[in-house]
Amino acid sequence: MTTIAAHELSLGYQRQKILHELSLVLPEGRVSVLVGSNGCGKSTLLKALARLLTPWQGNVILEGYDIQQQPTKAVARLLSLLPQHPVAPEGITVRQLVRLGRHPHQGWLAQWSEQDERKVEEALTRTELNAFAERRVETLSGGQRQRAWIAMAVAQDTPLMLLDEPTSFLDLAHQMEVLELLASLNRESGKTIVMVLHDLNLACRYADHIVAMREGRILAQGTPHEVITRERVKEIFHLDCQVIDDPYFHTPLCIPFARREDA
Amino acid sequence: MSEIGALRIGAFSRAVVWRSWRRVAIVAMLLGLALVACLSLGKVPLPPHELRAALMAPGSDIGLIVWQLRLPRTLLGVMAGGALALSGWLLQQVVRNPLASPDTLGVTGGASAGAVCYLAFLASTLGSTWLPLAAATGALTAVGLVYAMAWQQGVTPLRLVLMGIGLSAMLAAVTTFVLLSSPLSTTLSAYVWLTGSVYGSNWTEVLRLASWFAGALLMMVPLMRFALLASLDDALAVGIGVRVQLSRGTLTLLAAGLAGIAVAWGGAIAFVGLVAPHLARRLVPGPGAAQIVMASMIGSVMVILADLLGRTLFLPLDLPAGIFVAAVGAPFFLGLLIWQVR
Ligand SMILES: Nc1ncnc2c1ncn2[C@@H]1O[C@H](COP(=O)(O)OP(=O)(O)OP(=O)(O)O)[C@@H](O)[C@H]1O
Ligand SMILES: [Mg+2]
Repeated sequence: MTTIAAHELSLGYQRQKILHELSLVLPEGRVSVLVGSNGCGKSTLLKALARLLTPWQGNVILEGYDIQQQPTKAVARLLSLLPQHPVAPEGITVRQLVRLGRHPHQGWLAQWSEQDERKVEEALTRTELNAFAERRVETLSGGQRQRAWIAMAVAQDTPLMLLDEPTSFLDLAHQMEVLELLASLNRESGKTIVMVLHDLNLACRYADHIVAMREGRILAQGTPHEVITRERVKEIFHLDCQVIDDPYFHTPLCIPFARREDA
Repeated sequence: MSEIGALRIGAFSRAVVWRSWRRVAIVAMLLGLALVACLSLGKVPLPPHELRAALMAPGSDIGLIVWQLRLPRTLLGVMAGGALALSGWLLQQVVRNPLASPDTLGVTGGASAGAVCYLAFLASTLGSTWLPLAAATGALTAVGLVYAMAWQQGVTPLRLVLMGIGLSAMLAAVTTFVLLSSPLSTTLSAYVWLTGSVYGSNWTEVLRLASWFAGALLMMVPLMRFALLASLDDALAVGIGVRVQLSRGTLTLLAAGLAGIAVAWGGAIAFVGLVAPHLARRLVPGPGAAQIVMASMIGSVMVILADLLGRTLFLPLDLPAGIFVAAVGAPFFLGLLIWQVR
């Protein structure tokens, strides 16, 4: 099991500060979902947690130690990241891409162990990409490509997975498949999942823990029932809505109204 | 079915794409044929049985031609071409752009400026012994400058390319200025060198180049993994545990070293560093060891064939190999691009 937390974290780009003294402990072995409006800093937080950005102040703590002090390869065996807009090298095939995910487990001697091969095949199977394995990534549809990226993260096989909008570009059926895949990785292997989702209803269904952000700060966190209420949604998104009980899953179900006051 | 096989011996394991290696084997045979052609053809053409006799008897007349003239010259071409191609391949990986080459990143420009300055100011007192050192120093200095200018909390591929192009232009100006302001004899020898030539090689030079080349290859083996990952976007590379800036810096340095030694002994043979990796990419899709070996062999073939044309086509003239690399390589490359776009 692997714990990750941010402690009084401040950082941004150039001179613009995006995250403001943000502290957060993500529950171990659970699925956490970050929600918030566009530009509120979700991706920035995820990148900071994955040591892609260096904190100006404060730190990110992985397994009790400052993540910046740990060898980057050791970190890559604990934590994988799917960025929001990954770019594949030109001409690379799906299988080659997924194989890259094994890098942190390889050394100078072992660069394609049986374990590597098994994990890659497994990742391809679980994302239903076997039929596309030899296709070049740039020839795939948006959704197929997104699954290739997820497969790469799955092949990395880390106890902690950070995913930035893993369901973007996917049709509803494939969104459900990806979320089910992540849920099963969480259930079966106890992986800690942290992801950004924009669909509040799916977030409520799959999250154990929801973190709501606004303007680089954490506005609220807790179970879906605690966070997704009419008042909170208004604060997070400036959006009026009605929250009802999902008749089937009994998670909060948010019915949004138009932003206009008369709605 | 998976095209990827595996080679596993104890803790050692590698993925192997057999189809790619079969193509490498074919090009290796072509390289072998080119080698035989280079040893057989020339002012004194040697049919196969005479070539065999010459190889057996290094002391005979034809033995001297093969052992003392053609073989060192050919081996120098093989190494210079291979090193240029590897350098180009590495740079294309690092800056993620198939148009990168030692020429566009200032490496060749630096080597040329270093060599021309040496020929103009120092050669009269020191002789030409230290010319390779001057060229290599120029190449490494140029890359150091490009890197320093591109640095902004690390370098990005785009900034590297832009700074490289800028510096190349400046270095070209320096080279021209030195050429124009020095005596004609210097200008002439510098000009041959600038076009790229493996003329007048001997075994001492071959062994010196070979030791440098071997050193660079030894460095390349453990770095190959990172070269293959260099084309991956930074966020993903960090995500899988690559130290991006360290790897980028080391690979650029290695590429500069490779081009530096190639240019130092073979002259500024243009184009190989651009075309050879490009062809290799087309023949062996997907980055991997096979692609690297392919690129270096294509580079070797290009240079030795160009040199062969240069010294046989206009007998008794001995034209620098660089002319034919460009004269044959450029139209071929353009044709390929046009055909590819269609
Ligand atoms: N590379 C960058 N350079 C400068 N500013 C940036 C950069 N990336 C993001 N920003 C800014 O930082 C702020 C937070 O961006 P971030 O990507 O974290 O938002 P987000 O919550 O992920 O939004 P979205 O839901 O649209 O993905 C935004 O105002 C954005 O303009
Ligand atoms: Mg985002």
